[in-house]
Amino acid sequence: MTEQVATLGESASVKRTRRTRTLEQQQRLWGWIFLSPWLIGFLVFTLFPMAASLYLSFTDFTIGQPPNWVGLKNWENLFKDPVTYNSLRVTFRFAIIMLPVAILVPLGLASLLNSKYLAGKRVFRALFYMPYIIPAISGIFIWQSFLNGQTGLLNRLLRLAGIADPPDWLFSPTWIHPAMVLIGLWGVGNAMLTMLAGMQGVPTEYYEAATVDGAGPLMRFRHITLPMISPVILYNLVLTVIGLMQYFVVPWVLSNTTRSNPETNFINLHLYREGFQFFHMGYASALAWFLFIIGLILTLIVLYSSRRWVYYSSGE
Amino acid sequence: MSRKLSLILTLGVVAAMLLGALPGAAQERVKITWFVGLGTGTNEQQIEVQNRIVEEFNASQDKIELVINIAASNQTAPDILSTLIASGDAPDIVGPVGFSGSNAFAGQWLDLAPLIEATGYDLGQFPENLVESYRSLDGEQLLGLPFAVFPGVLYYNVGLFDEAGLNYPPTEAGVPYVMPDGTEVPWDYNTVVEIGKILTVDSNGYDATMPEFDPTKTIQFGFIHQWDTLRSDFHTFGANYVVDAEGKVHIWDNWREEARWLWDAVWVHHIHPSDSWISSDLLLGNAFNSGNVAMARSMLWYTCCLSDAPAWDLAVQPAYNGTIYAPIDMDTFRIHKDTKHPEEAFTVLTYLLGDAALELLTVYGGYPARPELQDAAIQAKAEAYPSVQNWDVVARSIEYAPVPHHEEWYPNFNKGQTRFQDFLTLLRSDGGGEIDLEAELDRLEADLQAIVDEVQ
Repeated sequence: MTEQVATLGESASVKRTRRTRTLEQQQRLWGWIFLSPWLIGFLVFTLFPMAASLYLSFTDFTIGQPPNWVGLKNWENLFKDPVTYNSLRVTFRFAIIMLPVAILVPLGLASLLNSKYLAGKRVFRALFYMPYIIPAISGIFIWQSFLNGQTGLLNRLLRLAGIADPPDWLFSPTWIHPAMVLIGLWGVGNAMLTMLAGMQGVPTEYYEAATVDGAGPLMRFRHITLPMISPVILYNLVLTVIGLMQYFVVPWVLSNTTRSNPETNFINLHLYREGFQFFHMGYASALAWFLFIIGLILTLIVLYSSRRWVYYSSGE
Repeated sequence: MSRKLSLILTLGVVAAMLLGALPGAAQERVKITWFVGLGTGTNEQQIEVQNRIVEEFNASQDKIELVINIAASNQTAPDILSTLIASGDAPDIVGPVGFSGSNAFAGQWLDLAPLIEATGYDLGQFPENLVESYRSLDGEQLLGLPFAVFPGVLYYNVGLFDEAGLNYPPTEAGVPYVMPDGTEVPWDYNTVVEIGKILTVDSNGYDATMPEFDPTKTIQFGFIHQWDTLRSDFHTFGANYVVDAEGKVHIWDNWREEARWLWDAVWVHHIHPSDSWISSDLLLGNAFNSGNVAMARSMLWYTCCLSDAPAWDLAVQPAYNGTIYAPIDMDTFRIHKDTKHPEEAFTVLTYLLGDAALELLTVYGGYPARPELQDAAIQAKAEAYPSVQNWDVVARSIEYAPVPHHEEWYPNFNKGQTRFQDFLTLLRSDGGGEIDLEAELDRLEADLQAIVDEVQ
């Protein structure tokens, strides 16, 4: 009898374990099922094309011809190609102007919108965010008209202000990048919102304590606001760096509607032209990987440097 | 459902599929695909006509089914076509497409000579020089047949000439231009500058011959190379090959002279708008049609984008050193080399060049390569533009087409063409007036050599 009870007990335990495992397995299965659309999409539309482009970067693949293995020839050409150097120069020159603007302007706007003295915050928030949701192409066309050197509204205003010979924004090698920065300012709404959210998450006691200690608005901003929202700044910085390496739509539309211009030949546009206009698919694949490596290195530098300037109130 | 019933149904489906796959089991017609978009053919009116022509062809056929694939625009068409080719799904027929569009896909076109020989197709219906222009560089392959030609002409704004008290430009080569004081001068690019200055006016009413003229306040320009390419501009001063037989790139002396003429026209005489002016509200990206430009050098296809007001007419293009070099554009349909049905594709091609030609040419704005259709084409144009008197200029200008063609192929063609256009941008953009033109031309030559050498 005792033996029977023991056997029944063991049997029940085994059944429980089996049921538990089955439940785990079922949960795991459903987990994979729910993940599968993303996973399949990632494999088919990201990982496989990446692997294929890595292979193609070692071939002379062009449209309508089977790829032939050429070893490192595309990578050698990449370092010999003056257009690649020029497009890197153009990209970095623009990045040097755009990067501070893309961080400081939304930071400034977020600070303004976070001010307790500002009336109509919701209206301003909507106004600053609204351009972000306007389709890029339409926005660029509007900017083209606004920035036209002869009849654009901006230069008309500058002439009224006494500047007799204002810049020809879109056709000048000197002014095209500042013009693109102006166009880029239209899209700062998203960064502004994330920074504003970060600012609104800073506990008010910190400001109260600092005020009691005699800290003015600038000191409070520098020693409380900035450190507390530094993770949000880091997030925007990383996105901006990656975005600058992938900068495409604005120069593409401008160069299609205002003729090709070497000063708008960003590295991503150079890649596109090599692949889809000149049909040097193998070379374009090498360029794509080169761009990926540059973007990765820059991102790692930013992340490494963040140890020195990003403060996580939760410890990390 | 019982297991037995399921088995029977499955076997039935499999059997049906196998029977369907057997050759000759179904009387299916051969499918020929026609891709449109590399050149013209994407606007609403053209789409309607092309669809109707496909329907008519299919109704007349029991062996071929023609399927048309029209790209959204000619800006997206190259990407679509390259994707189709890369994925092994190339269309059988591509067109209408000009030399430049065809050269962008060099090596993709079928040699038609064997099909012409096999079918006995009569090449005598086309002018011989037009047929020869479709031969490969080595002369061994015939990669297309003439369909539409777009001779190079000069458009002029009748009202602006009348307002300035100027005589109209001549309609025949060798006829002099009569200046306002009655003197006769050769109709060449120097004369264009002289009358262009009279026709270039600022908002204070001064023209470009007057010292008070302010180029920053221009409201009317004398001349424009309308929607040009640098190579077509160069060829107005005489045609030549970019790359010689030894693989050496040349920016020839007459091309350098043309670049100097254009630079002067933009920055010294101010008769030609800079790129900034071209895209301004004054000229709206379609300079001559804005009514604010007196003369435009272009091809016949520009009628696509012209209204009848302000009134305009046609003249012959100006001469350089006593000879008119009027670059011409030519469109046709090409058969892709990987077509699985070359005979059927050739049948469709000959239909498009034959029975469907006039209707297509009318809607494309093209001038027929086949002489027998030319009168009807001009009649259609005359009805669309009643103000135009000098349609005879069109036929005459074919004779002024320089050889080789301004879109002649050379190695690494697409990249080289982009470099050419970069130069034009530099010349006509802000700051173009300060460039060292000769040094930039030398740089263009050196860069093109490097581009050509990339693939040699």
